[in-house]
Amino acid sequence: MKFDPRTKLIMVFSLSTLAVFVIDIYLLLVVLLISIVVSNYFKENWDFLKRTKKFITLLIGIVLIQSIFSPAGEILLSINNFTILTTGGLAKGIRVILRMLIIIISATIMTGSSPREIIQALIQWKVPYEIAFMVSLSIRFIPILGEEAKDAFTAIQLRGVEIDKLNLTKRIKIYSYMFMPVLSGVIHRAKELSTSLEARAFRAYPDRSSYIKLELARKDYLIMFVSTLFTISILGIYIIMG
Amino acid sequence: MKKAYRDNEAFIEIKDLTFSYKKSPVILNNVSISFYKSEITAIIGPNGSGKTTLGKLMSGILSSEQGSVFLEGTNIKGITLGNIGKKVGYLFQQPERQLFNPTVKEEIGFAHLFMGEPKDKVDKKVSKIIEELSLQGLENSSPYKISRGERQRVALAAILINEPSFLILDEPTTGLDMIKKDKLSEILKNLQQQNIGMVIISHDKSFIKSNADRTLEVSGGEINEV
Ligand SMILES: Nc1ncnc2c1ncn2[C@@H]1O[C@H](COP(=O)(O)OP(=O)(O)OP(=O)(O)O)[C@@H](O)[C@H]1O
Ligand SMILES: [Mg+2]
Repeated sequence: MKFDPRTKLIMVFSLSTLAVFVIDIYLLLVVLLISIVVSNYFKENWDFLKRTKKFITLLIGIVLIQSIFSPAGEILLSINNFTILTTGGLAKGIRVILRMLIIIISATIMTGSSPREIIQALIQWKVPYEIAFMVSLSIRFIPILGEEAKDAFTAIQLRGVEIDKLNLTKRIKIYSYMFMPVLSGVIHRAKELSTSLEARAFRAYPDRSSYIKLELARKDYLIMFVSTLFTISILGIYIIMG
Repeated sequence: MKKAYRDNEAFIEIKDLTFSYKKSPVILNNVSISFYKSEITAIIGPNGSGKTTLGKLMSGILSSEQGSVFLEGTNIKGITLGNIGKKVGYLFQQPERQLFNPTVKEEIGFAHLFMGEPKDKVDKKVSKIIEELSLQGLENSSPYKISRGERQRVALAAILINEPSFLILDEPTTGLDMIKKDKLSEILKNLQQQNIGMVIISHDKSFIKSNADRTLEVSGGEINEV
């Protein structure tokens, strides 16, 4: 079944709103489960799991940092009087992770729509064409940026920089060097793009006509209604209960 | 074309290699080929045939599940990129992807300084290479604000400071005028005399003719001697 990109946008918006406002860990887990099911339904593959696997060390790091700097509750683990893990800190860390996962996974719902559809969705929501176009451009450039960053990262290692042998400060410094080629690539591309937009008379007329017209079906309305209602009621309960 | 003497051992050996990018058709299909340090090998082939891909596989930038690549007899998967870089210099088709510093001079010495080599030693090496590649006068310019040909030479200089024994150059003649091309030929000849092996990926027939000892064509997933 094909859904309108606007329906998907509403779902992403609902899920990420919940991710930000919900505090209860079990409820966050439920939201995460819903995101996984929905995203899986729209994409029909589990690629994102492979991608999140790379973040595991980062996630564990976040838990530890949260736990070390905001200890609360009972002590679970400490070395020489230095508290590393507390129940409160652990809960905080898990919350951050769940939130990140929900936002990342729910965003993958959009990947099923083409950039052109997303522009059209935004336009029909009265977002100015210029802005919608820029949004879609940036979506399209993400994979290219990724490839450039990957090339820069390999290139810097091929220069003889052995990343594994570096200490943390130097490692961070290396990442800052990597921005140079990526940034220069972005600026270069932006310049070329603006020239070519000028050359094709972008914005020459105030109104644009469009071949594609999105129409919301009954199922779209239904899903939009359900996700909005769900989000609002949970937020409502939270506000009433304090 | 002159027939070069081959020492019996391949410097880079590709064995039964099959490669495809995610969700794309097979680009190299079960290829086996050896590259020798004693010769300059040219790789030609139509756009999109997989020349750059082959170069990246040879230098460990890309790797494949099917088949293997050996660098001096060692499987390249077991060598870190940092160590590969000490033996194999790789010039990207887009040299700006391998430039990280605000000035040419810093760019060339950067990795060595970063890994903790003393500054005066690095400076000496840098000035020597600047002279070798005729980059005098550009020392303090930004690598992003010089001409493409100059940028390519800066990237090459930054590779050569590692004293690699093998070079993989991806389209090094793109955008060079006749004089710059001759200059590049001269540099490459000079490097060959220092016993540095080379693979040149190029469309430039005349450049290949005057520089390469051996030509391979990549097309339809296969590699053939021409
Ligand atoms: N990162 C990538 N992901 C997916 N496909 C890719 C990627 N890089 C290259 N390809 C595809 O692989 C094929 C071979 O690309 P490659 O860059 O090796 O060709 P090439 O022979 O170097 O071409 P050119 O002469 O234009 O430099 C092309 O069809 C290209 O579209
Ligand atoms: Mg190429």
